[in-house]
Amino acid sequence: MRRRPNTRDGDLLGGTLDMLILQTLKTGPAHGFAIAQSVAHRSDEVLLVEEGSLYPALHRLEDRGWISARWGVSENNRRAKFYTITGRGRKQLAAEATRWIQLATAVARVMEPGS
Amino acid sequence: MKWVRRSALDRERDEEIAAHLAEAIDHYKAQGMSETDAIRTARLRFGNPRAYREKVDDMNRLPVVDVLARDLRYALRRLRQAPAFNATVIVTLALVIGATSAVFSLADAILLRPLPLPEPHRLAVVSFKRVSAAGEFVGPSVDGAMWAAVRDHATLIDSAVSIWGSPSVSLIVAGSPSFVRTQQIGDGYFRVLGVAPILGREFSSEEARPGGPPVAILSFEFWQRVFQGRADAIGQPVLLRGEPFTVVGVMPEGFEGLAESAVWTPLRGAGQGLNYMVVARAREGVTFEQANAELAALRETPFAMLRPNATTKRSLVLTPLQDALVATVRQPLVMLGWAVAAVLLIACVNIAALLMARSVSRSKEVATRMALGGSRIAVVRQLMIESLVVALIGGAAGVLVAFAGLEALKAIGETTFSQWARVTLDARTIAVSLGLSGLTSVLFGLLPAWQTSRIDVQAALAGGGSRSIAGGSSHVLRRLLVGAEVALGVVMLVGGGLLLRQFMFLQSLDPGFTPDRLYSISTSLQDARYRDPAVINQLFSSSIERLHHTPGIEAAAVSQGLPYQRLLNVVFRVEGRPDDDAQPPIANVAYITPGFFQTFGIAFKEGRAIDDRDRVNMPSVAVVNETFRQIYFKGEAAIGRRIRYANLTMEVVGVSRDVQQFAGGFTLPQMRRGPIVTSPTVYLPAAQLDRGLLTAFSPVWTVRARSAADAAAALTAAITAADPLLPLGPLRAMEQVIGESMAQPRLLMLLVGTLAVAALLLSAIGLHGLITHIVSERTREFGIRLALGAPTGKIVRAVVQSGVALAAIGALVGVGLSFPASSLVAASVPNLSTRDLPTYLSVAVLLVIVALVSSLFPTLRIARLDPVKILRE
Repeated sequence: MRRRPNTRDGDLLGGTLDMLILQTLKTGPAHGFAIAQSVAHRSDEVLLVEEGSLYPALHRLEDRGWISARWGVSENNRRAKFYTITGRGRKQLAAEATRWIQLATAVARVMEPGS
Repeated sequence: MKWVRRSALDRERDEEIAAHLAEAIDHYKAQGMSETDAIRTARLRFGNPRAYREKVDDMNRLPVVDVLARDLRYALRRLRQAPAFNATVIVTLALVIGATSAVFSLADAILLRPLPLPEPHRLAVVSFKRVSAAGEFVGPSVDGAMWAAVRDHATLIDSAVSIWGSPSVSLIVAGSPSFVRTQQIGDGYFRVLGVAPILGREFSSEEARPGGPPVAILSFEFWQRVFQGRADAIGQPVLLRGEPFTVVGVMPEGFEGLAESAVWTPLRGAGQGLNYMVVARAREGVTFEQANAELAALRETPFAMLRPNATTKRSLVLTPLQDALVATVRQPLVMLGWAVAAVLLIACVNIAALLMARSVSRSKEVATRMALGGSRIAVVRQLMIESLVVALIGGAAGVLVAFAGLEALKAIGETTFSQWARVTLDARTIAVSLGLSGLTSVLFGLLPAWQTSRIDVQAALAGGGSRSIAGGSSHVLRRLLVGAEVALGVVMLVGGGLLLRQFMFLQSLDPGFTPDRLYSISTSLQDARYRDPAVINQLFSSSIERLHHTPGIEAAAVSQGLPYQRLLNVVFRVEGRPDDDAQPPIANVAYITPGFFQTFGIAFKEGRAIDDRDRVNMPSVAVVNETFRQIYFKGEAAIGRRIRYANLTMEVVGVSRDVQQFAGGFTLPQMRRGPIVTSPTVYLPAAQLDRGLLTAFSPVWTVRARSAADAAAALTAAITAADPLLPLGPLRAMEQVIGESMAQPRLLMLLVGTLAVAALLLSAIGLHGLITHIVSERTREFGIRLALGAPTGKIVRAVVQSGVALAAIGALVGVGLSFPASSLVAASVPNLSTRDLPTYLSVAVLLVIVALVSSLFPTLRIARLDPVKILRE
């Protein structure tokens, strides 16, 4: 029997993809391709995700009620699903961001040369 | 629930991915890529869409339901792959579950379901208990003194009296006679039962005493029929037994009392004889133990009407009402219940053995699944679901079989057990059917499933189960199952065989008279116009006279009761014989008109028959039968001896040959036990009797005629000519009367016999399956042995021997189990020996034959084996 996939199985470091998606959506609703573009662009193409892996993540976030989805029309006049961050999503993002910053700071301190 | 909308979600997700790719392609083209490059880059950056789809799939599913649905689909596919095998299993299951449910619905409705009265657990019957050296006897019938003691002294119970039984009496509405069932009840009877009349009131204590006014209470249905439900029926007269009774009450719809009555009349005082039933309701908060203690404190007061007896300890005790009412039907039902349960068990064992055989042949499939990573639980689950599906289909079909089965049981059983008639199949029974099929699926599915999952994957895949020599351990279990099946089959066969033996014995009895061309009609003299013995005798003699002159009628007589029926019994005094309290001279008694012995063709051992000389003013005479002479005259000459009953002293003038009667009322150590016996009997001339004996049972007119039509015409004409208002019963041939007297043993024999044959067949199938499997598994080994020069006969003999030996061991165990089980059979059928040697011998022979045949058939394949071909495979 297959199990429900682990909650922290983003392709990036645990939970990072989720955070990036939420962060992207903070500026307004977007469809899947736009989110992928935005993540890639904002990280100066460092965080190059396999775009397909976005969808399980989007699905998971929707399942938890952090984002909501509805069908709309893209700038190229194509039917696409638009995702919007919810109130709970914002709260989650804040928590994740704090955690991330703490983690990043800690890691940075460990890696600091000379200490 | 997401998995329900799966296909819609699938479409949505596909559309989303397509939109993504299209956007990406547009984007790359806008950056200056060629169409082909754009598509390639979009695809590349997206990754494998299928992988992501599966990930989302996994998130969306409800794992258990999805997995079960898959297993179910797979199970249904497997069902279709082996239609013959599964049809066999389903039909077997449907039949046994149907039979079990049908019998269960009878047992449930009659034994388990509480009586439809308020707080039935507080209701009881006051029983008369006797403990002596001969044993303990508890009966629900009491006499007047016992009732009076309970009424006057028992304060912890609310009690009321009624007469046992509800005879059909003539009732006249608008000049046309009909039969209705009436019961005589005391005051407070309905109060004790807890059911109040919907109209009027129940009897008062002034009405229910000697000399009370003639009043009646009607059942709802009777009131509807006769008074069309008019409220002014209260105060109207109904003509019962020729006497006008004033209606004072109407009972609620569907209420028939405890004896299926349409009309109730007051019991005007309870007298001698154990003819009364006292129904009691324990007062609020009082237990039966407390009430019994109070009854025990009455000591000898209730037994004033009985002769003092130092050797017998008498007391009154409460019997729960339902137990008292179902006493006679409990044993046969319990026996039938065990019989169907045994067949159900055999069927389950059989199906388990079949599945096990199949699971062995599926070992390669299972091994493959396990080698590919299927867990043991997954494999067991898959196999269990397969058997559950089979069981549920079988169970559903079983419900249909139960409907048909119950109707069939009622059709053949309701004349013997009237309680069966009202039983219907209900939700409870259907729930039991389905529950049973679920349970059986666990029973017959778990074992083979578990065994299959334990296979050695490597050996199964490499060697291929059927190639290696004798698969060892699986056969131990299967042999056990088949052996158990045979053992249960033997128990059933012995039970059925004993019942068959008893029925054959009953049929082989010498009737003591010539039954052919004898026809009877009965009527009721419970009528105010027949109070005078002279009037009754006038009716007899004028109708018989007319019959004597009717062409086609060879002989005619009136008697109280018929051979093979139960007769009235009374205690006589025999002159010259010391009174013996332990064994008072009790005997059947019947009045007869002259010509009775000649009509029935009953021969005489001594003396003469009763004839026209024995009139009212002549010396009182009696004819006794051989058994009476044997027991009470010690076999000495009886002519001239005198016997006394009440105020009559009769001289014995003849000894007639014994005639078979239906047993009832008493048994003596000298008598054979059983439903049909020759008991001591006294025949008295109707002309010399007073009203008491003459009206106690209905008279029966019997003729020996050319044909049934002649008899019907002549009897109706003769009786109607004497009295046009007498309600006549149907014409019955003597063979019919004999058949009815054996109805219960025959019914039980048929039912248990059918079940036993089913059990035998199932065992044979089980054994056949086992041997077939062994042979097919060892084909290669046998081929090698044949090639090496082993004689075919020797191999065949060895295999058959193993089958027969298995059957023999099962049979031995079965015989051991048969002793307790056959005492259950014996309990429901009187006069059945549980150690009947011929029964056991024939069961043993039958089994050996069946075992031989079912082992031999599959083994014959060995003889046709081609060693060369086998060795090449």
